[in-house]
Amino acid sequence: MNIIELENVWKIYSMGEVEVHALKGLSLKVKPGEFLAIMGPSGSGKSTAMNMIGCLDIPTKGRMLHEGQDIAALNEKELVKIRGKKIGFVFQSHNLYPTLNAIENVQLPMRIHEFGEAEIWDKSEELLGLVGLSGRARHYPSQMSGGQSQRVAIARALSTNPLLLLADEPTGNLDTEAGKEVLDIFSQLNSRGVTVVMITHDEKTAARANRIVRMIDGTIAS
Amino acid sequence: MKLLDIFLLSLSHVKKSRMRSWLTIVGVIIGVASVVAIISIGQGMQENVQQRLGGFGADIITVIPGYFRATGVHSEMHTDRSVSTSSSINLSDRDYRVIKQVPGVLYVNGLVSGKADLKYDNEKTVVSVTGVDTSVWRLMDTTGLDEGRYLQAGDSNSIVVGYNLAHGTFLQPITLNRPITIGGKNFRVVGILKQSGGFGGGSDTGIYMPSEIARDVITEKVSNNQFTSIVIKASDATLVEYLKADIEQKLMSSRQVNPRTKDFTVIASALIREQMSSVTQTLSFFLSAIAAVSLLVGAIGIANTMFMSVMERTKQIGLLKAMGAGEHEIMKLFLIESGIFGLVGGIIGVIFGATISLLIPYLGIQALGFGGDMRATITTGTIFFALGFSVVIGILSGIIPARHAARMRPVDALRYDQ
Repeated sequence: MNIIELENVWKIYSMGEVEVHALKGLSLKVKPGEFLAIMGPSGSGKSTAMNMIGCLDIPTKGRMLHEGQDIAALNEKELVKIRGKKIGFVFQSHNLYPTLNAIENVQLPMRIHEFGEAEIWDKSEELLGLVGLSGRARHYPSQMSGGQSQRVAIARALSTNPLLLLADEPTGNLDTEAGKEVLDIFSQLNSRGVTVVMITHDEKTAARANRIVRMIDGTIAS
Repeated sequence: MKLLDIFLLSLSHVKKSRMRSWLTIVGVIIGVASVVAIISIGQGMQENVQQRLGGFGADIITVIPGYFRATGVHSEMHTDRSVSTSSSINLSDRDYRVIKQVPGVLYVNGLVSGKADLKYDNEKTVVSVTGVDTSVWRLMDTTGLDEGRYLQAGDSNSIVVGYNLAHGTFLQPITLNRPITIGGKNFRVVGILKQSGGFGGGSDTGIYMPSEIARDVITEKVSNNQFTSIVIKASDATLVEYLKADIEQKLMSSRQVNPRTKDFTVIASALIREQMSSVTQTLSFFLSAIAAVSLLVGAIGIANTMFMSVMERTKQIGLLKAMGAGEHEIMKLFLIESGIFGLVGGIIGVIFGATISLLIPYLGIQALGFGGDMRATITTGTIFFALGFSVVIGILSGIIPARHAARMRPVDALRYDQ
């Protein structure tokens, strides 16, 4: 079964009197174990596509299936559950909770989903080690570089054992070196079987993925 | 999410924006402190009045000569002969008998009061002397004896002295059996009264002796069949109001006066006390209302801070929602935060308020002309009320911002740029 399946998805926002067609009949499948990059210039609808994949938004028309389940049929509570447990998000910036230190940030999703205290600590330490930041556990986001913050965000996204890691321009705010480190972690995770969907407008970044989907004008460029 | 984890997350926000948190809390502190201080002062005032008027006893009615139209509580409170219309008019035997006939009257005591020169242990002073009917005085006295005995029939050179006169007036305290010269006559102290704390009656600084003796020693002239006041004890305290009216009526007809020419005044202290306490109650309620306004301002401060932090944290709310936090959890996160403001502000406010209340007596502010120092009474009830109230206010003022945050759609929240 595909993890994600978009079937002829339309998303129309009405901004006052103007209607914005963000997605125009997008169809896309994400298979387990894939490392997929969605590319496109700004305004191509890639962020809207990410919101759909992340169950943060529901289509105006068409179907969006998460593990075969139509998300339009789910209520807010069920959506919250999917978002929290099945999908790990990494955003472009302001990813971390500023009032919590690195390890507390990694623990946050597990605390939201009420994991046991022992598991919370074991897992968070393990994940910080995985992204190479064991030594920064007590640092606050303001005390870390952009690359470090992004790696903490990845560790956090992985904490609930999601099926899918969803990254929106994860290297957008990083210099080349830090960006490379982040992408290395993605490759490493993917080789361990984690499905990664990454949104980017940068060719070099996209090249790290196994498959690239190019979007233009709300649909896949042919 | 567990409540403890939500609480710790809220706390991390409060600690992070320390300056703003403190400023918000200061708003609550001012509100709570003023409410606590004012309620305590109000209660102190109430007790003060109760205690001062309490010395009279609930079933005692006093008739004094002279009449002036009381325009308010204040003038009625200061009813004494020096203010009354005429000092030459006194009450007579006849009045005494008329009063005695009124149904519901248990005892009647005709008093002869005045000033007299006193000499004790080579010290000289002027004291107020009250001549009493020895047969009923002991039955009507509400102050009680500290030591010794009451006056009894046949006493001619015996006196009973007030507590403060005995203990605070002379270098050498007055004790039982000490000789005292009053108005040129020698007396022996047979009793000392307890401290009444009451005002107006002056029992703490007065001297009591049989009325026929008092007529000789006081500087005022009071002839044999006259009294300067008549004190009545009602058979039942609940009758006082009715009895007061009845006595007034009967005295008017016997003295052949109408309400316009009335030349005496009937005072029921229990009624005055009720009136006074309703005045102080109204007053403290009014002051509390003013204090509540500052608490309201504090609440608005919390709401403002909460709205600002919801705005600032839009992106974080989106993050929490993307991580799987539900509306309830976001709601609780903000409510706990505003509750913390209320609680911390409440605790510090209570401490400040209590301190202010405790300092009040040392400021020596006179309490509204009641003749006593202002003081405050802090009760645990007040403290818990203030604490509970400030927490509730904190939470209430957080509700609208919290709901605003909870209902944000994650997509919108995440897109929000700071």
